[in-house]
Amino acid sequence: MHFPILTSLIVLPVAGAILVLFVRGDEEQSAPFVRKIALTVSVLIFAETLLLWSRFDPSSADFQFVERHAWIPAFGIQYFVGVDGISLLLLVLTGFLTPLALLSSWESVHEKTKAFSIFMLLLESAMMGVFISLDLFLFYVLWDAMLVPMYFLIGIWGYDRRIYAAVKFILYTMAASVMMLLAILGMAWLHLTTTGSYSFDLLRLYDLKVPPHLQFWFFLAFALAFAVKVPLFPFHTWLPDAHVEAPTAGSVILAGVMLKMGTYGFVRFAFPLFPEAASFFSPALAMLAVVGIVYGALVAMVQPDMKKLVAYSSVSHLGFVVLGIAAMNTQGVQGAVYQMLNHGVSTGGLFLIVGMLSDRRHTRQISEFGGLKKVTPHLVAAFLIVTLSSIGLPGLNGFVGEFLILLGAFRWDPRMAAFAATGVVLSATYMLWMFQRVNYGPVTNEKNTRLADLGRRERAIIVPIIALAVLMGVLPNLFLRPIEPSVARLVNRFHQNAPAHLQVDARPSAIGHQPSAISHQP
Amino acid sequence: MSSLNAIVPMACVTAAAIAAMVAEAFRDPGERMPIAGLGLVGLVGAAIATVLLWNHNTSSFGLVVADDFGLFVTGILIVVGLLSLAISGPTIDRERLPAGEYYALMLFATAGMMLMATASDLLVIFLALEVLSLAVYVLTGIRRESPAATEAAFKYFLLGAFSSAFFLYGIAFSYGLTGSTRLDSIRGLTASQAPAPMQLLAVGLVLVGFAFKVSAVPFHMWTPDAYEGAPPAVAGFMSTGVKAAAFAAFVRVFLSAFEPLRGQWSDVLWLIAAATMIVGTVVGVAQSNVKRMLAYSSIAHGGYLLIALLSANDVGKGAVLFYLLTYAITNIGAFGVVALLDNASRPNDRVADYAGLWNDHAALAALMTVFLLSLGGFPPMAGFIAKWYVFSAAVKAGYSGLAIIGVLTSVISVFFYLRIVVMMYMTPGNTPAQFPAVPKIAGAALVVSAILIFYLGLLPTRVLDWAAASISAF
Repeated sequence: MHFPILTSLIVLPVAGAILVLFVRGDEEQSAPFVRKIALTVSVLIFAETLLLWSRFDPSSADFQFVERHAWIPAFGIQYFVGVDGISLLLLVLTGFLTPLALLSSWESVHEKTKAFSIFMLLLESAMMGVFISLDLFLFYVLWDAMLVPMYFLIGIWGYDRRIYAAVKFILYTMAASVMMLLAILGMAWLHLTTTGSYSFDLLRLYDLKVPPHLQFWFFLAFALAFAVKVPLFPFHTWLPDAHVEAPTAGSVILAGVMLKMGTYGFVRFAFPLFPEAASFFSPALAMLAVVGIVYGALVAMVQPDMKKLVAYSSVSHLGFVVLGIAAMNTQGVQGAVYQMLNHGVSTGGLFLIVGMLSDRRHTRQISEFGGLKKVTPHLVAAFLIVTLSSIGLPGLNGFVGEFLILLGAFRWDPRMAAFAATGVVLSATYMLWMFQRVNYGPVTNEKNTRLADLGRRERAIIVPIIALAVLMGVLPNLFLRPIEPSVARLVNRFHQNAPAHLQVDARPSAIGHQPSAISHQP
Repeated sequence: MSSLNAIVPMACVTAAAIAAMVAEAFRDPGERMPIAGLGLVGLVGAAIATVLLWNHNTSSFGLVVADDFGLFVTGILIVVGLLSLAISGPTIDRERLPAGEYYALMLFATAGMMLMATASDLLVIFLALEVLSLAVYVLTGIRRESPAATEAAFKYFLLGAFSSAFFLYGIAFSYGLTGSTRLDSIRGLTASQAPAPMQLLAVGLVLVGFAFKVSAVPFHMWTPDAYEGAPPAVAGFMSTGVKAAAFAAFVRVFLSAFEPLRGQWSDVLWLIAAATMIVGTVVGVAQSNVKRMLAYSSIAHGGYLLIALLSANDVGKGAVLFYLLTYAITNIGAFGVVALLDNASRPNDRVADYAGLWNDHAALAALMTVFLLSLGGFPPMAGFIAKWYVFSAAVKAGYSGLAIIGVLTSVISVFFYLRIVVMMYMTPGNTPAQFPAVPKIAGAALVVSAILIFYLGLLPTRVLDWAAASISAF
């Protein structure tokens, strides 16, 4: 029996949290020790995800490292986990961002450090679990469990309106996901009536023929849960509040990992389980995505608060991801998965940098800054790279994902791609305009003249982000290769089961037979 | 002698209750006596008897059946009794309550509940109902000098007596039509006849009696007042024990004796379940007193249990048992925290009193969070599994509408559970609320409850199997 590496991704953070719980002493004595334990555990987990990646067979579309144990046998509920190309890199991303988020809170969180570290670790455990669950029941348990630590992170360590934001966050997401619970129960019941036994096993439910009228309702229930999480316009209103009020570490995890769970849910559950309904609804989803792209960008443009600006930019960027998924062709979905990673890295990076500025000045208003380039050149250089990566400059990570998505969307419905492309332009506008106001020109505010440049800890946070952004921009193949087989299988299966979807993929086109224009380069 | 086996568990508890009364009579004023220990002995004896009786399906006098369903509920009641004993100590000391009376009443009530859970005759059910009710009425008003407690007890007593009369009327009508009060004979006769109007009246009247005891809307009015006036430990005992016993009898009567009339009562019960969930949660949102809030929450939980009862398939019956167990542990835990914060000078039972509890009593705050999140149905706590079990029964039985109302109301309920969490963790306490120190036994009981909640939430298989097995012979 091989080492249960996926289970250890869930168990290790919990073990770390329990270890932290038993650290004695008051705040001053325990805090440094607690921080080190949490950081060590999270780095260890990151190492594990890298190990997972190195052992992963990129040529296979199957689920790997599968573990399967009976959990509640009477209902066919299993502890069933595994990774494929779609979830693998999301695990790595989660492992990558958590230590950085912990580092970012090294000094800014100085109250109740113990509880903070516990919640961060529990959150990491639940997030890992969501990405590896292949049993719908297990998935839902972790999906809901994840809300609690995030609620505490926002509510205890957040900014002024933190309680409002925390309650809004948890109620919104929970209200949206309970319908999914009923749909999951409905699926299990359907499995019972057709085969004679309950099952929550995703792979078996993939093969279940769901009658069209049920597909319609089930898809809506799943889509609502995921759309709120993404968040898709018009379900996005919780996001700016949650992001703005959350502590930096919370924002990084929220934007970097948790938003991806919505799009991941579409790819993993909603589309493959209910292909007919999905192809019926995908134009509407794409429409909402495009509206979100443009709307998010326009609203971001007028934000006076940097954090809010980045939050709205997430609405816009995640719109691209949903568009790629709705297109349901190889480029689109591959681009969407890639863009999920990109968004995690670059938006995570932006929140980290905004957090650094806000640690120094205790404000995030753009108008309070100006001319930082002369004061903190290193910080500004890092800021620039992360900004460029976010707007998708070729050579950095953002470009590849957006390009693939637009390619996929164009082959599906050129009108969508055309509208979405304006988002690319708009994102350059608002990001660069913000960057310019904060960093260029004369130092207008007296308080900014003596700001410290990047410290050692901050370098340790931002250098990995930049390195990854460059790596993902220059060597996209490294990341696309494991994604591709799983995506190809997903798309093929989808088109077999949903003949109604616009089948551009099926006929040869000018762009050719190649499943992906980029990943097939030698 | 073998015909007495089925009543051994309640006999143990009754013996302990009598011993407690005798001990109280011989106690010198001011002398401390470990009377709670008598209760412990009695409940442990009952637990052993329950384990020995498991799977034997014994019956006594044809009136009490110790089938696995009844024994499972007996087990729940033993847990309720033990936890209630553990959290009552501080209240008794602080309020200078007569310990012997208090424990004797609690044990008599428990014995009545056990009888109610295992009775197979309508009159015995009525008898059990009265045994437990009378004890609980007195417990509600045991703080004699408190006007609120007296008012609560009186209200509860009047309304309760009224509903008992309804119940008895129902039994009388049923007897008039079928010539029997035995559940199995009633079932046989109702199945063979076309439903007569008189019979529907009988079912309706019995339903009112049960609905009152499980505080289902619109018979819930007494609940918030009674819970608020009673000492928190008693409120925890009432909200779980009475509910468990009443639901056990409810299930037994409606799914056996009145099962043939299902077509007639299911629509009514549908409406009651929906109204109970909606009123419980919506009104719960508006409460500023923790005890009243927990009262409305317990009303809402009654609604979920009604869904399970209504679904009436094998999943539903198992769900009733599992739900009652998790609800009992969780709710006593929550009331236990309220009881431990109770202070001689002020009750500390407003939501605002919980501000900053985290700083003063980190462990109590954490325990309360576990209980509240479990009541709200968050995984990986037991409350989630219980709700999921209920909703799967509803989906299986085709009651999707109720399931939708159920999940939506549970989201609303999360709102008010979180209000307390917000207070404890995210609001600084402005006035030091002077929380008393936590006694060891009560604290340990709460920790055990929390561990059980996680156990039932993470590894529910074994208990789910027991629940499923115990209804199979039903």
